[in-house]
Amino acid sequence: MSFTRMMEGNEAAAWGARLSRAEVVPAYPITPQTEVISHIATFIAEGKMKAQYIKVEGEHTAMAAAVGASVAGARVFTASASQGIAYMEEALWMPPGRRLPIVMCMVNRALAPIGGLRPDHNDSLMQRDNGWIQLYCENSQEVLDTIIMAYRIGEDRRVYLPVASCYDGYFVSATATPTTVPDQVEVDEFLPPYVHEMYSLMPETYRPRPFEMNIAKARYEVQQAHERAKVVIEEVDVEYSKRFSRGYDGLLEEYACDDVDAVLMTMGSMTGTARDVVDEMQASGKRIGLLKLRGFRPFPTEELQGLAKRFHAIGVVDRNTSYGSAGGGIVSMEVARALYPLEDRPLLLNFHVGLGGSDVTMRQIGYMADKTLEAVETGRVEKAVDWVELVDLGEVM
Amino acid sequence: MEINRQFDEYYENSYIQGGTACCPGCGGPLFWRMTLEALGPKTIIYGDGPCAYCAIRNIKLPNFGIHFSFVADGSTGILAALAAKGREDITVVSSGGDGAIGDISFGKVSAAAERNENMIQICVDNEAYMNTGIQKSGLTPFGAWTTTTPLGKETPKKEIPLIIAQHRVPYVATTSVAYPRDLQAKLKKASGIQGFKYLHTVIPCPTGWRFDPAKSVEVVRLGVETWVWPLYEIEGGVLRVTLKPKQRPVEDYLKAQNRFRHLSDDQIKFIQSETDTRRQRLLENDGKRIIL
Repeated sequence: MSFTRMMEGNEAAAWGARLSRAEVVPAYPITPQTEVISHIATFIAEGKMKAQYIKVEGEHTAMAAAVGASVAGARVFTASASQGIAYMEEALWMPPGRRLPIVMCMVNRALAPIGGLRPDHNDSLMQRDNGWIQLYCENSQEVLDTIIMAYRIGEDRRVYLPVASCYDGYFVSATATPTTVPDQVEVDEFLPPYVHEMYSLMPETYRPRPFEMNIAKARYEVQQAHERAKVVIEEVDVEYSKRFSRGYDGLLEEYACDDVDAVLMTMGSMTGTARDVVDEMQASGKRIGLLKLRGFRPFPTEELQGLAKRFHAIGVVDRNTSYGSAGGGIVSMEVARALYPLEDRPLLLNFHVGLGGSDVTMRQIGYMADKTLEAVETGRVEKAVDWVELVDLGEVM
Repeated sequence: MEINRQFDEYYENSYIQGGTACCPGCGGPLFWRMTLEALGPKTIIYGDGPCAYCAIRNIKLPNFGIHFSFVADGSTGILAALAAKGREDITVVSSGGDGAIGDISFGKVSAAAERNENMIQICVDNEAYMNTGIQKSGLTPFGAWTTTTPLGKETPKKEIPLIIAQHRVPYVATTSVAYPRDLQAKLKKASGIQGFKYLHTVIPCPTGWRFDPAKSVEVVRLGVETWVWPLYEIEGGVLRVTLKPKQRPVEDYLKAQNRFRHLSDDQIKFIQSETDTRRQRLLENDGKRIIL
């Protein structure tokens, strides 16, 4: 039966894997992901989840075992964070190229040495080029729903790609928010059992992976799968919201964007705070809206281009760094590339904030919104890349 | 013509295709042919990259492989998937070269042994990174020339079979392609045992060891006859030396390969005394429990 209670993001992730009937879970513990796998271990021990839990000796093996299990036809779930994702990186390139629909939680945490245990997005964003679909979640409910949707997306024959559900450590992973756990029967109807139609490793049905001699062709095929995934993600979202009365607007969510001059674009847990700030500012007559970037891969280029005409300025909030880059954070560079072909494009501002998991405060979001609106007024960008945490906003942190 | 027909017929019925990407005289295809013959068609092979994989690419049975930083891990996943599907009738073989198992994937093999994964882990040991062009690995023997040990390796070979045995796994064995019956008997025994089985086999490499490809089998046989490569098994912690040939001087083995041609008389004496000690220890402990 469906039920609702307060639940931390990590427990919600474990429920997502359980309801999706993941068959193999190879995993290695790392803060702040640990509760995901300990909850799964408990589910299995209590006989409530029928899965093979492999207690591997490191993240590299976790992903390699996931690849093995997926090739052999099992539905696979795993989770990691930060240094674990970095250690896993070599193996993370295998599932997209082999077209394996593994689902993984990337619980965001800053990387060493200028990091800590708290979240920023560099760990998952450094995996942006390897072919994984990346969806960023805001709260426990979205984490749970995204995992179930992720299997439908990844296992769609138009896609066959691995999907990462990314969410901020602590702010999402360890913060309890009201979460509805859907009924298993409903989930089973939404998510049929996994069968890979391209190849099989079983002796009776052995079909090796087609060995593509033309590397460019094989890569282009993965790129095309990402293009098709944009459509599939929207479809799955619509179907999910029809069945479970909750949806997330696919790759990009507009929040209070009617009749505004400018928007902030956020990703992950800070979106919740930004919603409140935008509400307050609009109440006092400021024309600022909010875009929540949910799908970073595939990047919603066309959707963003369509929206851009309505705004005079976009302030992109980056919880990451890309040292020595062409300008600013990783998300802002993607946005710049997406908007560049437009003749009449909005002004683009970029803010670095919340690095190493420091709080993104309401005052900081207010500051960023004001700066973005200021650009609309003056018609020019005063500071293209702004490190908000280095600005004295009179806050005691 | 007759010989061609015989070959065609042979490969028709074999689990491995004729013609490989391997060098002439490579022990790899030879080893896999014997192995698959012993294990039969209900087998899935997971292999690491380079040399060993060049050989297994021609296998007609279900197989896939990644790089040599991936040993015993994908096969762990395959086993879990088989368990999830209720398929316990399939033998899972994980293969790795000496560089993989001795160096970069050592931790992975150790972890799979500790988890007692129900697979046959094979080490196809040609005593160096041959695919990259003969570089020293942890399993290169003392004195051997490689392109990264141009003056000969200064340290001895890692004793992987004994290290794995200390994980208290049910079965460990050493084999050689020069002794197919011994090899196949050990494989058959291994496939009947539940848990982690480790099979360490020597693969002659004419390219890296510097000898005439026609003498492949002869050279590895000399390894066994000189006791440089003793054949034994450790079942349930008990050692059994499976072949006790009359000992020949190590010089016979060393002189057959140009990778050892620079060795001084003193170095050869040293290798002889090390080999003698090892042989003596093995014979002393024959039939005894050797797990601490």
